[in-house]
Amino acid sequence: MKRLTLLALALVLSGGVAIADTIKIGVVGPFSGPAAQQGRNFQAGIDAWLALNGNKIGNDTIEIVYRDLPTADPAKSAALTRDLIVGEGVRYLAGYYYTPDAMAAAPILVEGNVPMVVFNAATSAIMNASPYVVRTSFTTWQTSTPMAAVARERGIKKAITVVTDYGPGVDAESAFVKGFKDAGGEIVASVRMPMNTNDFSPIMQRIKDSGAEAVFAFLPSGPATLGFMKAFAENGLKKAGITLLAPGDLTQESDLPALGDSALGTLTTFHYAVSHDSPENKAFVAAASKAIGDPASLTFPAVGAYDGMYVISKMIEATKGKQDAKAAVEAVKGLSWISPRGPVTIDPQNRHITQNIYLREVASENGKSINKEIRTFEKQGDPGWKAP
Amino acid sequence: MQTVLSIAADAVAYGMVLFVISIGLSVTMGLMKVVNLAHGAFAMMGGYIAAFATHQLGVPFGVAIVAAVAGTVLAAIPVERVLYRPIYGAPELTQVLMTIGITFVIIGIANYAMGPSMKTIPLPTILEGPVDIGFRSIAAHKLFAVATGLVVAAAAWLVIERTAFGVKLRASVDNATMAAALGVRTKVVYAVSFAAAVGLAALGGVVGAQLLPIEPYYALRYMVTFLVVVSVGGAGSIPGALLACLLLGAVETTGRYLMPEFGEFFFYLAVIAIVCVFPHGLLGRRG
Amino acid sequence: MTTDATVKARNAASLGRVRRSAAVDATAVVIILAAAALLYVLFPGSLALFTRMVAIMMLALSLDLVTGFAGIATLGHAALFGAGAYAAGILASKFGFTDPFAMLGVGAVAGALAGIVSSVVILRGRGLGQLVLSIAIVQLAHEAANKLSAWTGGSDGLSGIAPAPIFGLYRFDLWGRTAFILAVALLVVVFVLLRVIIRSPFGMLCRGIKQDPVRVRAMGAPVYGTLVKLYAIAGAVAGLGGALSAVATKVVGLDSLSFTLSAEALVMLVLGGVGKLFGALIGTFVFIWFEHLVAAINPFHWLTIVGVMLIVVVLFEPRGLTGAAEALWTRARGGRR
Repeated sequence: MKRLTLLALALVLSGGVAIADTIKIGVVGPFSGPAAQQGRNFQAGIDAWLALNGNKIGNDTIEIVYRDLPTADPAKSAALTRDLIVGEGVRYLAGYYYTPDAMAAAPILVEGNVPMVVFNAATSAIMNASPYVVRTSFTTWQTSTPMAAVARERGIKKAITVVTDYGPGVDAESAFVKGFKDAGGEIVASVRMPMNTNDFSPIMQRIKDSGAEAVFAFLPSGPATLGFMKAFAENGLKKAGITLLAPGDLTQESDLPALGDSALGTLTTFHYAVSHDSPENKAFVAAASKAIGDPASLTFPAVGAYDGMYVISKMIEATKGKQDAKAAVEAVKGLSWISPRGPVTIDPQNRHITQNIYLREVASENGKSINKEIRTFEKQGDPGWKAP
Repeated sequence: MQTVLSIAADAVAYGMVLFVISIGLSVTMGLMKVVNLAHGAFAMMGGYIAAFATHQLGVPFGVAIVAAVAGTVLAAIPVERVLYRPIYGAPELTQVLMTIGITFVIIGIANYAMGPSMKTIPLPTILEGPVDIGFRSIAAHKLFAVATGLVVAAAAWLVIERTAFGVKLRASVDNATMAAALGVRTKVVYAVSFAAAVGLAALGGVVGAQLLPIEPYYALRYMVTFLVVVSVGGAGSIPGALLACLLLGAVETTGRYLMPEFGEFFFYLAVIAIVCVFPHGLLGRRG
Repeated sequence: MTTDATVKARNAASLGRVRRSAAVDATAVVIILAAAALLYVLFPGSLALFTRMVAIMMLALSLDLVTGFAGIATLGHAALFGAGAYAAGILASKFGFTDPFAMLGVGAVAGALAGIVSSVVILRGRGLGQLVLSIAIVQLAHEAANKLSAWTGGSDGLSGIAPAPIFGLYRFDLWGRTAFILAVALLVVVFVLLRVIIRSPFGMLCRGIKQDPVRVRAMGAPVYGTLVKLYAIAGAVAGLGGALSAVATKVVGLDSLSFTLSAEALVMLVLGGVGKLFGALIGTFVFIWFEHLVAAINPFHWLTIVGVMLIVVVLFEPRGLTGAAEALWTRARGGRR
C-alpha cells in the first residue's frame, strides 16, 4: 500500500505537474540610516501588494528576504547581492534605492540567472548595465523633461537651474535645459550646489541677481529640501514673483508637513502623487497606509515597490516557478497594466516603465498639504535613455 | 556694494548659527578634554523636545526653548554619571569609541520614538517674517540666532574667565589631582560643565533648526561641521570659536555665491590653510 | 665595557626574541588561515561579504600603522583606500588593463602616493588640528572624485570593471571563491610583512616618535621623514585594500573615499585594540559580523544595538577586544602557575 502511494507520487512528479515551491525574493534597500523612510516605503509597497494579492502565485509561495543597505555603497551592494543569490538562493532581486547600488548588482544577474526589478534608482544608464534589469520607478530625465514645456507655456522666457551637484542633479539640469532651449527659452545660468549645503541664502542671492523669471531646482528628498524652500520664501523670491519649478522629489508627501506653508503653490512634475484620484490608488493607499503605520510618511518609493511586486508576480506566472531569468524578463516586456499612478507599460526596448507624468501644485486640502495633480502628460518614456 | 553687504549679512548670520550650535562642544573638547562626538546628538535631542513641546503640547516658542534645554540637561545627567565619567582622561580614541556608541544609540532611539521624518519647530510670528536691515531684508529668526550667539558668547566667556567657577574648572582640567588637593570638588565641576555644554547644544539645536532641520541623522550629518569649526577656532577658546565660525561662515557663504560648484573646496582648503598656520587652532592654547 | 660574555648573552637574547616573534607570526598566520578555511566551509554563500571584510581589514591595518605605532589620530584614512580603489578601477575600466595583479599593484602605488600627500598635510597639525586636517583631506578627495565624473563615474559609481582570471586560469566566479582566496592570501602576506616592518629598526623608531618625538629628534633621527615613510607604507596597504575591493566587487563608489568609512575603520580598530595589528583584524571582523548579524535580525534598529556594543566595550574593556583576550590569557597562565 505504502509502495503504491510512493509510486503514484513519483508518477505525478515525473508527469511534470508543478509542486508547491517557495520562491524567495531578495529586497535590497535603505532600511536604516538617513534614507530609512524611503526603505520603509519599499516595505509598505510590498506589504500592500501582499495584503491585496496574497503570497501565493499558482502553487508557489513567495517569501521576501530583506537586506539593509543604508547608504550608496556599491561594494556592499555587490556583496549583499551575491550573498542573496548564492547564500539565500533568491530567484528574484528587487529594491535598490541608489543608482550606484543598482549598477553594482547588475553585472551579477546573468551569471546568477536572476532578474532584477529596480524599485527606485533613477539613472537612465542602469538599464544598459544588464539585459535582466526591469524598472518600475522613474528616471530624473523622465520627470524633469515635461517641466520645460510647462515653463514655456506659462510665458517664462528666462530661467535659471539650481541643482545638487551629483548624478541625478546633473540629469535634472540637462533634461530641463534641453527641453527649455528647444522650446525657445533662455537659460540665464546653471548653478550646481555642493551636497552639504546647509544655508541656501547665497544661492537665493544668485537667483535674484540672475534676473530669471523662474527657477528650476533639483534636490534629493530629505532635510536639505526644507532649508531650500524656507530660504526661497525668506529671501523674498516668492514675493518677487519668481516661479519655483522642480521634479517631485522636492515636495515628496512625507516632507510636506515639515515644509508647511512655504511650499504652497510650488509646481512640480512627477510620476506619482499619493492624492492621485483613481480606484486603484485608493485601494493601494489604504493598504500601504496600514502597512507603513503612519500614513503621513507614505510617499513615492512605495508605488515603485508595489508595481515591482506586480511585475515579479507576472514573471513567476510566466516561468511557472522555474528559474529562468531570460524567459521571466521576456514575459514582462511590453506588459501593460493600471498602476495606482495610472496606466503604465514596460517598454520592450529598454525595460523601463512608460507612464504618465503629472504636473502638480502643492495645495492645502482639509488642513493638509498635498500634491494636487492639475495636468497629465500621457505615456512618457525615458528621454534620457540612449541605446547602447 | 549692495551684493557684498548682502552676502556679508548672510555670512554673519550663518556663522552665528554655527557658533550657537558648536560652542558647547568647545567647552567639552577644549576645557574638559573629551572628544565628544555625541554633541550633535544632544543638540538633536533639544530640537526634538522643542518640536514635541510646540506641536503636541502647544506651548509657546520661548517656553519650548527652556523645556528643550532643561529636558536635555536632565536626560544628560545620568548619561554623564554612567558613561562619561569613565572616559574623562581616557585616551582620545577610547572617547571616540564611547561617544560614537552614544550617538548611535540616541539616533536609534530618536528613529524609534519620533520616526524618521523631519520635525519642525514653529516660530512665533515675531520671528517668522523678514526684517528690513537697511540695505536688504533678512529672516527674523536669523537675527534672533545672531543675538543668541552674542549673548551666549559673552556669558560663556565671563563664566570661564571671570568667575570662581571658571577658575576651578580650568584648574581641574589642568591638574585634577592638584585641584582636588586644594579643595576643588572636581567631579561636581565636571558634572556642571558637562550639563552646561549639553544645555548649550540643546539651545543650538533649537535656534539652528531653521537651517539644520531636526531628523534622526542630524547627529551624524553635522558632526564633521561641528568638529571642524571648534578645532579651527582652538578648542576651549570662546573668542576662537566665534572667530572661526564667522571666518568659515564667510568662506562658505562667499564660495557658495561666487562659485557654488566648487563651494566645498573653498571651505576645506580654508580649513587646511588655517590649521597649517595655526596648528593649535586660531586662538587655541598650546600644549 | 662590554665583555665577550655579555655580547654573547645579548646575541642569544635577541636570537631568542627573533625566534619567539617568528613563532608568534607563524601562529597568527595559522589562525588566520584556519579562520578563513572555517568560514569557507561553513558559509560558502557569504564569501563575497568576507572578501569585502578583508578589504576593510587592510584599511584597519593601515590605520593601525599610523595611529597605533606613530600615534597620529586620523579620521580621513579612507582617502588612501579610495585612491587605491579608484586607481585600480580606472586602470581596468578606462585603460583596459584587467590583470588583477596589475590592478592591485597600481592600487598599492596610488595608495602610497596618497599617503605621502596626506602625511605632508596632516603632519603640520597637532592633536585636534591633525584630526581636522585629516577630515579636510578626505572631504576634498571625495569632492574631487565627485567632480571628475568623466574618470570616476561621480556619484553613480565607477562600473565596467571586469578583472581577468588570475594567472589567466582562475576566473572570478559567482560564489566569490576566487576573490576570497586571493583576499586571504593577500591578507597573510601583508600581515607578515607588517609584523616584520614594525619589528625592524624603522618600526622601533616610529614607536619612539609616538612616545617622545622631541627625544627622537635630539638623538638625531629624522622624525618628519620617518613619519612620511610610514605613511607611504600605510598608504600602500590601504590602497591594496581598495584595489582588492575594486577587483572583487567590480565597482568603486564615492563611499570608498568618505568620512564615514574613515570613522568606521577607526571604530573597528579601537574596538579590536590599537597598536597590535591583530586588533585591526579582530575589530573589523567583530564589527562587520555583528552589524551583519543584527541587521539581518532587525534591519530597522540594528544601529542602536551596535551602539550599545561599543559602549559596553569601552566600559568593561577600554583596551579593546585584544586587550580582553590578553587579560584572559594572562589570568589563565597565572592560574596554572
